[in-house]
Amino acid sequence: MFRVSLAQGDASKRAGKDFGFAFSAMGSVCEIRIAGLARRKAEQLAHLAIDEVRRIEAKFSRYRSASVVSRINAAAGSGRAVEVDAETAGLIDFAASLHGLSDGLFDITSGALRKAWDFRSGRLPQGDAIDALMPLVGWSKVVWRGARIELPRHGMELDFGGFGKEYAADRAASVLQERGVNHGLVNLGGDIRVIGPRPDGQAWQLGVQHPRERDRLLAEVPLATGALATSGDYERYFELDGARYCHVLDPRTGWPVTAWRSVSVVAPACLAAGALTTVAMLKGADALPYLAAQNVGYLAVDGDGRLHQREAALALN
Amino acid sequence: MKKLMPLWAACVVALAGCSSMTAPEAWEKSSLAKPEMTMGSDALGERFRQHIYTSKENASGGYGVGGGGCGCN
Amino acid sequence: MKRALQRKKSAPVSAHGKGAVVLAALSLPGVWIAPAHAETAPDNGVIAFKYLHYEDSQPGLKRIKVNSPSLYLMTPIGSQWAVEGSAVVDSLSGATPRWQSSVSSASVMHEERKAADVKVTRYFERSSYALGVSRSKEHDYASNALSVSGSWSSADNNTTWNLGVGGSSDEIDPTGGGFSGDTHDQKKHTVEWIAGVTRALSSVDIVQLNLTYSAGHGYYDDPYKAFDVRPEKRKQAALLGRWNHHLLGDQSTLRTSYRFYRDNFGVDAHTLQGEWVKPVTAALAFTPLVRLYSQSAADFYADARIDAGGFPVVPALQPGQLNSGDQRLSSFGAITLGLKTEYKLDAAWTVDLNLEAYEQRSKWHLGGSGSSGVDTFRARFIQLGASRKF
Repeated sequence: MFRVSLAQGDASKRAGKDFGFAFSAMGSVCEIRIAGLARRKAEQLAHLAIDEVRRIEAKFSRYRSASVVSRINAAAGSGRAVEVDAETAGLIDFAASLHGLSDGLFDITSGALRKAWDFRSGRLPQGDAIDALMPLVGWSKVVWRGARIELPRHGMELDFGGFGKEYAADRAASVLQERGVNHGLVNLGGDIRVIGPRPDGQAWQLGVQHPRERDRLLAEVPLATGALATSGDYERYFELDGARYCHVLDPRTGWPVTAWRSVSVVAPACLAAGALTTVAMLKGADALPYLAAQNVGYLAVDGDGRLHQREAALALN
Repeated sequence: MKKLMPLWAACVVALAGCSSMTAPEAWEKSSLAKPEMTMGSDALGERFRQHIYTSKENASGGYGVGGGGCGCN
Repeated sequence: MKRALQRKKSAPVSAHGKGAVVLAALSLPGVWIAPAHAETAPDNGVIAFKYLHYEDSQPGLKRIKVNSPSLYLMTPIGSQWAVEGSAVVDSLSGATPRWQSSVSSASVMHEERKAADVKVTRYFERSSYALGVSRSKEHDYASNALSVSGSWSSADNNTTWNLGVGGSSDEIDPTGGGFSGDTHDQKKHTVEWIAGVTRALSSVDIVQLNLTYSAGHGYYDDPYKAFDVRPEKRKQAALLGRWNHHLLGDQSTLRTSYRFYRDNFGVDAHTLQGEWVKPVTAALAFTPLVRLYSQSAADFYADARIDAGGFPVVPALQPGQLNSGDQRLSSFGAITLGLKTEYKLDAAWTVDLNLEAYEQRSKWHLGGSGSSGVDTFRARFIQLGASRKF
């Protein structure tokens, strides 16, 4: 999905103590990087972190029939509320807060619209397919009380895809940090959470993919702490008659957004960074003032290919 | 001498009135960790300077203990 | 599957609250964990070398020249201990006046001073304790000192208190018995205290307030100066306030400090200093500095007076009467202008150059004219240094 390179920079004396562990999860190429520990210990801890990522994928992926999200979706329209645990409830609360904080643009029920959009075939939605799905979209329709969630209409769906990967990056980083890792990072397909700087104190150079040229980097963001997440119109899309239709759908209209080619956000946690990139893509022209008001740093490429940025260092103050 | 006191008081008041003087959360402290923001940066150079000023002026102190003396003139 | 127990539903936050989304994310358990230890031994060790060249003068007399190489080493031992030490050799040569700024019969000397110190620090989760010893030796002066200090941090790591106490024992044995010829084997004992607090006021501001108090008894006269009789007890107090402010726009830092000093000799002094650390590139930073100083004269300071023949008037002293013509006890003001340049060669090496120009004038005394008849005193020094992280 995203090709994010970690530029090595000048070869540090500690190069021998910098270990990378690649794996695939959540449909992306992922990497855990641990430095400052012996190889055996780093390997052990990396496995724990990878296990945590897989646990979250299994629990929240709508593509796994045993996941919590699938159970909730399966009960849609049945009149049955599903009881969820503390972790799930926390994430649903976060999504609910975000819905309010984004003036309704961030909506985890917008996943139902995927039925109208087939990115593989490259065809626009047939007839009134979108109109037929709109009644199933809208967080305000969801019944969320106590620890029980109910989707009142059959066909309604919850989708944690807008922040699941980012949450997993933060959780994996916490697992490593709790076990004594002070230098390293977790990179899940371009959503990155830094645990601590390189052993020599220097920041990691995180590459952001260029939205149009696959083999080029748009920029390198130096981070010694915090997180970087990116959303773009190049992850899943098709082009028709010169127009690009990407996978980020506006929950109010059912149609893809066009204002931004790519938005990257720097924030203390990947969960926040990822949620804000999604909101920014949806906000269109209002994205940059919104991100500034949220006090985060960003790198954004607009529809004409122009780069806008706000100091990433500000995000961590 | 006495004229300096109101100046210092004014600085303290101005500092207090500065925008967003809220105690930083743990995740907001990256600026504070920079060497130039800590109180002890360049220990060796600072020690030289204090040694020179203490031997050419009468005032001393405020920074730490344990320096020991010298017959500097 | 865990049951949902008392889980607080996060209240919707105003869309216009600064950083509301970030706060909402950070409040989820397991998303962000504060680093465990507030006080740990430093990650890196440092070895540094510095060379000082110092010259001072007054009109008509080039005074002291000092060349001083020094070495500093700090190394963490594990994550709970650190050791630091330094060694310096001062080579002084030149002349200082025997009376006021009188140029004639200034005492010429050539002196070498060797000093070294070691400090061991033990780190705990919220506190640290240190023990230090230092020793200084020159031909006519030896000093031995011991110090103990502790620092304690609050749970949120925004406030740190520190306390320290030190004692030193000095021996003075002037060359040739000093000006009078019969000053030998004098002693001086001092105890000093420090209490201070450092606080992070915001994400870009940190302030410190320190109070130091020192009490000593013994020999305080300057043995090489004429008619120099000082009290046998010395009590000194200083209150220092410091403020470091980081400017996010250009990543520069403003460092200011003010110190008030008072002692039992009757001297009050004010020191105001400001410096601006300005990074120009990722590797290069300039720090211009301004320092303003003013002190009042000691109670027993004797003004410089010239008689009709152009010769300095020396006071007629009763036995045991306090007196000093030492310029350093007169009333004056002083200004320093300095510039420091720091250049990072790579991740481990840094070189630095510091230049300071200092001038002391009695008429610069704050609030009025200072002691009369004292010549302007000037000093220049340059420090060249290199340090390596390991």
